[in-house]
Amino acid sequence: MLKCGDMLVSRWLRLRSLCNRVCPHTRREERKGLLWRRTLIGHQFTGTLASSRPCHSDVGDLYQNECIQRYLQQLMQEYRYICQRLELPHISEADRRALIKKHTELLPLADVFTDIEEALKDQQEVSSLLLGSVGAKDEDKQLTELLKEEEAQISCKVLTLRKNLVKALVPIDPLDSSNVLLEVMAGRTTGGDICQQFTREMFDMYRGYAWFKNWDFEVYNYTPAEYGGLHHAAVRIAGIDVYKHLKHEGGTHRVQRIPEVGLSSRMQRIHTGTMTVIVLPQPVELDLHIDPKDLRIDTFRSRGAGGQSVNTTDSAVRVVHLPTGTVAECQQSRSQLQNRDTAMRMLRARLYQSMMGEEIKHRQTVRKQQVGERSQSDRIRTYNFSQDRVTDHRTGHVARDIKEFMRGGGALDNLISDVLENEEKQALLELVENRGNGRDLTNPD
Amino acid sequence: SSPCLVTLWTLGVVQRGQFHSLHTCSPPALPVGRITALQALEFWKKHFEESGVTEPDLSSHYIVAHSLGGKTIESLEQRKLTEFLSREKTEQIWKLCTKRLSRMPVQYVIQEWDFRDLTLTMRPPVFIPRPETEELVELVLTDLKNKPSSGDTVQTCLEVGCGSGAVSLSLLSSCPQLQVVALDRSQEAVELTKENASRYTVVNKTDLNKHRADEACSRCSPVSVLVSNPPYLFSDDVKTLEPEILRFEDPFALDGGSDGLTVIKQILTVAPKILSDRGGIYLEVDPRHPPLIQQWVEANVAELRYVETRPDINSRSSNKSLLCLPPLYHYPCVNLRRRRGAAVITLLMCDIQAVLGEKKI
Repeated sequence: MLKCGDMLVSRWLRLRSLCNRVCPHTRREERKGLLWRRTLIGHQFTGTLASSRPCHSDVGDLYQNECIQRYLQQLMQEYRYICQRLELPHISEADRRALIKKHTELLPLADVFTDIEEALKDQQEVSSLLLGSVGAKDEDKQLTELLKEEEAQISCKVLTLRKNLVKALVPIDPLDSSNVLLEVMAGRTTGGDICQQFTREMFDMYRGYAWFKNWDFEVYNYTPAEYGGLHHAAVRIAGIDVYKHLKHEGGTHRVQRIPEVGLSSRMQRIHTGTMTVIVLPQPVELDLHIDPKDLRIDTFRSRGAGGQSVNTTDSAVRVVHLPTGTVAECQQSRSQLQNRDTAMRMLRARLYQSMMGEEIKHRQTVRKQQVGERSQSDRIRTYNFSQDRVTDHRTGHVARDIKEFMRGGGALDNLISDVLENEEKQALLELVENRGNGRDLTNPD
Repeated sequence: SSPCLVTLWTLGVVQRGQFHSLHTCSPPALPVGRITALQALEFWKKHFEESGVTEPDLSSHYIVAHSLGGKTIESLEQRKLTEFLSREKTEQIWKLCTKRLSRMPVQYVIQEWDFRDLTLTMRPPVFIPRPETEELVELVLTDLKNKPSSGDTVQTCLEVGCGSGAVSLSLLSSCPQLQVVALDRSQEAVELTKENASRYTVVNKTDLNKHRADEACSRCSPVSVLVSNPPYLFSDDVKTLEPEILRFEDPFALDGGSDGLTVIKQILTVAPKILSDRGGIYLEVDPRHPPLIQQWVEANVAELRYVETRPDINSRSSNKSLLCLPPLYHYPCVNLRRRRGAAVITLLMCDIQAVLGEKKI
């Protein structure tokens, strides 16, 4: 998708290079056109865009934002100051260490910044050459073409660099690299069957996505409902940057479809249902001590005789943490020990959540936000089967071909990247504004 | 260059033929029309229920899942369950479920089961490993890890009565540097162990020839760990077992004599002669056994010191005093260690044939 986007960007740049001045406003308009093509976003968001923040444009565009610029300039000033200080002969060892630390932090940013400035200088040169060649003779036409080509290339480079620069500014969520515990839960709103069927489909979608991303997908709990539906399932997804990609999946997902059977099916009546996704980060190192004495482990065997005198295939295990009443169950494996290990891991994740104090309290609010009121109002995404369309309500991203989308492949990945980019921008803007300097500035957009 | 070594010996005469009593329930006819996996599940669950087959729900689940190429129903895609089954698949499910109808254990019907992180082939009459034994392995592994191998000597482990190889192979898969010798009196068991071992490519030396017991013994001694899930059921209790066990599993793997201690005593008698100086014995036994074993060892085997009895997880509770709950509900692992400083008996000509159950039980 990135490649395709780049291709379009460079194509657009070729067109763009015919004009000499880049007016931010028209540029925005064009970008919007581009995004529309890329993500099939409808036209409906153009109106809302005029409000305070650019909510759905490329990350690189943020570079134009004055707050960001100011922030960037500050950082560069700081960098230059540090460089100067470091050259002074008479600073204490402690100071030097602190400065070097700060220096290494800012170095990558400074590098990109210098690259941009150099690229801009090149661009200016090429532009002035181009200006000079306007109205030139036929034999110079080839040269003009070449110059245009070069300008386009440089602009493209500048844009990529800016993107990188802004990305380097985005605050990093320390939990991004964590594995997650993902839960799917059928909604209790109208149309129970619809909700359960949809929950099952969502479960399959995330399984497909884990496969697409080459992540491990380990089922911890799976409570099926009638007719192939799903009440609740918990899975552990492990791999590279799992939390980063899945953290914005938490929330209420809404489905709209005509049921496959029953009266509504014959009447072609559209039903609406919901399901909830909960995504909890599972820190890599769980520094959590659980006293075995606090656990009650229930198995088939605890209900009667065992050992050689019984042959059972019931390998389900339930672990109860007595002091907190936290429960975890697992029946996924044919090995009882594996089920117990899985249940224990699940329990640990849950206990970790409830034991880690303020930070967790905050995250629990996030969980609550994700669970919401389990009503249809705070949904994050709608899956409209009758119109074959998925709409994310935070970005306005629309994906067609719902069947393909629910496979959890590239289409879902596109949407997730889009949401992620959007969230990153919000986070950056928040950071910049919270620094106080940006607060009194009128938003340039 | 693989460091692990498994040597397998087989001893004794194979007793076979008496396990499969022909118990034929009239199997239900194949469905006329096409059906889905879900419908097959429902049908067989009901049929098992009506025929008095234990765990009707799980049985139909595991068999259908197996036929569709999965381990559990939950691990299958929804699509596979709602699609119509091919004639072939339907026939396979009917064939397997009919086997279950004769009370054949699910593990034998689908010919495999999971033990810890291994999937092992199961074949009658070789004993099907129970979940408690997973705990026995856990116990041995924890101790092996806590006790760093002394210098460059390779740690050796002897398993008496390996059955399908579950214990030995689990130990090897977690501790590849371990040398394991697995013994069983039954040829079928040794062959199955070998087969399962090749599944996990841990065998680089198999020896299926019959050896004299003393030879086998001298080849593996001294061993640092002697592990066994010996037959420990009291003969009286054997008669009341479910048909799944009684009809299909090797009675030599179950029946431990009138007090369930016959083979255990044999093992404990031989153990001091083959155990290394700080070696340990790990046995899964009946809940009534630990005090009996402790007394018997104190009276008869001076070289051994009874260390502890650990209950399996199924009886673990929040309260320590609960360990003496009605003992029927927990299946402890007994751990015995060689007494430090006890005289080393150099007699290697041990009567391991007794251990292997040659004596009439």
